[in-house]
Amino acid sequence: MSAIGCGQAETLAALRERRSGIGPVKYLETTLRDFPVGEVKLSNAQLAARTGAPAHWPRTSLMSILALQEALQQASLLAEVNTAEGEALPGASAKLFAEGRAFPAALTAALTLVSGTTVGGMDLSEQQYPAYSAWHSCGASTDLAAKFLGFSEATTLSTACSSAANAFIYAANLIRCGLAERVVAGGAESLSDYHLNGFNSLMILDREWCRPFDASRAGLNLGEGAAFLVLETEESALQRGAKPLAVLSGWGNACDAFHQTASSENGEGAFLAMSKALKCAGLQPSDIGYVNAHGTGTPNNDASESTALRRIFGDRIPPVSSTKPYTGHTTSASGSIEAVFCLLALQHGFLLPELNWKQADPACVLPYVSDVQCAFQVARQSDRPEAAGNSRGQSPLKGVNGIANVICNAFGFGGNDSAIILSRV
Amino acid sequence: MSLRPVYIRSVASLGAENPDFRQLFSPLEARRMGRLLKRAVWTSRQALDAAGLAMPDAIITGTDFGCTVQSENFLGALKQGGDATPRPTDFMQSTHNTIGSLIAIQLGCHGYNATYSHKGNSFRSALRDAWMQISLGEADTALVGWFDEEFPQVGAVDRAVSVVLSASADNALARLEAASFSLTEEALLGTVLELL
Repeated sequence: MSAIGCGQAETLAALRERRSGIGPVKYLETTLRDFPVGEVKLSNAQLAARTGAPAHWPRTSLMSILALQEALQQASLLAEVNTAEGEALPGASAKLFAEGRAFPAALTAALTLVSGTTVGGMDLSEQQYPAYSAWHSCGASTDLAAKFLGFSEATTLSTACSSAANAFIYAANLIRCGLAERVVAGGAESLSDYHLNGFNSLMILDREWCRPFDASRAGLNLGEGAAFLVLETEESALQRGAKPLAVLSGWGNACDAFHQTASSENGEGAFLAMSKALKCAGLQPSDIGYVNAHGTGTPNNDASESTALRRIFGDRIPPVSSTKPYTGHTTSASGSIEAVFCLLALQHGFLLPELNWKQADPACVLPYVSDVQCAFQVARQSDRPEAAGNSRGQSPLKGVNGIANVICNAFGFGGNDSAIILSRV
Repeated sequence: MSLRPVYIRSVASLGAENPDFRQLFSPLEARRMGRLLKRAVWTSRQALDAAGLAMPDAIITGTDFGCTVQSENFLGALKQGGDATPRPTDFMQSTHNTIGSLIAIQLGCHGYNATYSHKGNSFRSALRDAWMQISLGEADTALVGWFDEEFPQVGAVDRAVSVVLSASADNALARLEAASFSLTEEALLGTVLELL
């Protein structure tokens, strides 16, 4: 869920119709009302009504619960729980259980939740100040969601804007080490007056609609949302007859080690993160059909990321776009929200054109803005013999529908840079 | 998948008293960094020196609440209004990963870098992540830390603990077993501090 919709169906429709969810502040209590934001178009009371959770919980928890409910339903894990164990959690009402918003205890107790957030319960603390909310911390907002849905174990990554991407990496390693069979991973972040002012104090907010990679870009628009993926081994999916949506085939995490809030000129952290992800997946740069860039719209990030992309791909850069003009920068949740966008694009055979880009900047890559341009770029890729297949034996590129592997970047303050690769099954 | 054994090479910890930070920081650096950050860099250096390691492959940090003093400064300035201006330095240092990032910037370490912030599971998750990085062969060494500072409004207490983990048994203090992650976080900390 994000500014463009609540749930997969709304999200898919907005992406296909190229609809942005960025606009004037409506729900957030803030004095900074002249900055556009990407708000989830539901109040806390509406989120509570949809999820069955209390409206006085942190907005981060409420959005997490809504996204987790949809992820768990789609993963069709219910069949795994036999009827003897199939009782709802203590405290979950029969109504929620019947509606598929509460889950059998035996189902969720077997799952680990790994979430990424930085704001946590700050939305409540800033309203109660000088008192702090009992759910002020990052972990507390994850725990509320975990306990509401019955997860037996939960942890929280907090690496600013790469938190959700790092949640995927931790989750994948739990599975690889045999410490978990199935993990639900992603991230959630609500808007707060605190971090809207924080980004403003750093002078990286644009008063206009953000324009990643555009010569006139002047900063980012903040957004909010939540997204989670259910991860499991191929063996586990096959055993229960589940149809995987995609393969998390690679990931890379590196530190730019340059500055607490700025990216290095040579994009070292971003370059290392993407390089590691390619190595982890056993893929060549030519195997990548699309890059969902971090692309915040700040002059610094987009130039640094472009340099990293040029270092990886040379003069054969696949279609690249930032989806932040749709949602705003959803900070800690961006890694998982944008991973979901990539999954929808892979599944439904379309690419994600960038909105609001007009003018090329020599310091930046040219983002993918239309299907025409994309068809050209993909055709050019297919001409090359090395693009005819990849080391995993996947089918060669066939137009937009033939894209087999995509990179999704998420970079955070402190140079906490991560990249994941999603591949067609 | 065969997993490599993981060893604890060194442990460093600070009590409530601050060490003489002048040994490590210039007056300018010391002014810019909050107390938590200085203590975190200090114990990290102590642990790396004790392990005889100049550069870890991974830096993994746990913090229940992050730099609460800087959060309070920023929030206070925001809410009091008037002449109080929310300062970018306070905002920057209030993101939880500022600690692990600062350690990486100071060392020039481009390796794996992650931060866990989940009270009751911050240190355990950080240690487990490092254990996985080494077990899977993605890192040979890891610097793990748990850092917080006293801030009664949220129940935060002082903590500054650093641990160096290694794939090599040479000069190891103990082996870190996967089974130790079933301990409570306080018990896990206890077993680590016993090695001091």
